[in-house]
Amino acid sequence: MKLARVGLLIPVTATYVFLLMPIFVIVLASINSAEYLSFPPSGFSTKWYQSFLNSDQFMSAFRRSILLGISVAFFASLIGTPAAMFYVRFLQRNREQFRFAMLAPMLLPEVLTAIALLFFFNQVLFGTETILPLLIGHVVITMPFVFLTVTSALYNMPTAVEEAARTLGAGPWRTFRRITFPLIKSGIITGATLAFIMSFDNVNISLLLKSIGTVTLPIQILQYLQYDFDATAAAASTISVMMTMMVVLLIDRIYGLRAVRF
Amino acid sequence: MIMAKAKTNLRNWVFGLPALLLVLLFIVVPYLNIVVMSFRNTSMSAPYAPGFTFDNYTRVLGDLYYLVLLRDTLFFALLTTVLCFVLAFPVAFHLARTKSRFQGLLYAGVLSPLLTGVVIRCFGWIVLLSNNGIVNQLLAYGGLGPYRLMYNHTGVTIALVHVFLPFMILPIMNSVQAIDPRLEEAARTLGASRTSVFRRVLLPLTLPGIQSGVILVFVLSASAYVIPLLLGQGQVQTVPTIVVQQLLGSFLWPFGAALALTLSVSVLFLVSTFALSTIRSMRRLA
Repeated sequence: MKLARVGLLIPVTATYVFLLMPIFVIVLASINSAEYLSFPPSGFSTKWYQSFLNSDQFMSAFRRSILLGISVAFFASLIGTPAAMFYVRFLQRNREQFRFAMLAPMLLPEVLTAIALLFFFNQVLFGTETILPLLIGHVVITMPFVFLTVTSALYNMPTAVEEAARTLGAGPWRTFRRITFPLIKSGIITGATLAFIMSFDNVNISLLLKSIGTVTLPIQILQYLQYDFDATAAAASTISVMMTMMVVLLIDRIYGLRAVRF
Repeated sequence: MIMAKAKTNLRNWVFGLPALLLVLLFIVVPYLNIVVMSFRNTSMSAPYAPGFTFDNYTRVLGDLYYLVLLRDTLFFALLTTVLCFVLAFPVAFHLARTKSRFQGLLYAGVLSPLLTGVVIRCFGWIVLLSNNGIVNQLLAYGGLGPYRLMYNHTGVTIALVHVFLPFMILPIMNSVQAIDPRLEEAARTLGASRTSVFRRVLLPLTLPGIQSGVILVFVLSASAYVIPLLLGQGQVQTVPTIVVQQLLGSFLWPFGAALALTLSVSVLFLVSTFALSTIRSMRRLA
């Protein structure tokens, strides 16, 4: 029995090491003084972070990514939340079809969606010179996550409290604002957080729909990796990872991220 | 009365309509548009020319280069899926059953790669696997190497497995959690060996989770673009990298669309065959 447990533990530990290794070496590379990570590390230095902070390209991409992520989170929740309410509370017929339509952007291959949007914006709409196509593309692919988390939040709340509020004379809007919204708030926040992270880390949509003025941080890192090769990209990556972790930890502290399920 | 009900129903659609319009306008219409685009004529001066043709498909299916490319893309997606399954099963099983107080931390360990962008994870693998990367530096201490670990399918497959592994672990973990641990004990007590417990009890009962994990990983790795781009550095081509090159580099939109759709249809065919056969064997077991 004990031997079998050890037999399981070795591959399991190895897989965890495999999962975390690339992130670990990036952090290591960003504080290492050498141009390129040598082993053993040659010394501690913050120069790559200074180089990141002093780089206009990196900093403007970083600011753009944060702004874009916040806008995406806002619009994805603004559209996804009522859709989830509609699905859970009102929709009678064709429920499966509606759910499928809502989840479709998440299930389709992202590169194909990016290609489809690239054609569409250039042929029919306003082209890809502004940041608007990026915003729309990100909102489309992140909306399903808000839909999922809010749907599960709605299923987990008792409907009786809404009925009670209505019986006691509250209108539909007041019932939503005072009763429903506070009860599903954690679902909305979780969905919005996921939307932010998905947008912040997105490559496929951002790469195909970008133009000169709309490069996001992952695209900036990607371009840097294709041409240049010093550890500034490692510092940028580390800051990006820290950002995401901080957002997740903060939201988890406040609301609990239990709704994150696949 | 009926009127009033119909009216509220209509008013309720206000909630669902924005999301539905979003999906319709920015998913359904653009996808239909790719299909139309794949039948367009090629133009030298613009992304496409008016008029319709089958040429793009005959070019994809008639050229050995693209057929080999398609075969390789599907093969490496399959390899990635198999490797993910082999690595994921022990972890998923352990994570579902462990009583360790670090369970939350381990779960975060599985989730954390998902919260790190693909570019950053690929960057990590470049630092590890490149010709003067950490792995080769460590091997050099032992007097080995240097080995070519990236700029080829080895590096691309390693990164693919890494990036998509959580998508295999999480569904399998969910189905293991649904199994009563007493079932395995009963099978063991009744004299089943460890392998037959795995083969006859665990595997059939986790089949739904395995099925969704396999489909997710296969679809994701067949359509991966950034990973072959960064770990291959131009030395490894897959259908997605060639498609994007055709679209952004050569501006051959109709041909790129035909190539992308050929891959999607092949993936869809394989996935639905797999789904149907697993559903059939799940029924047989039930």
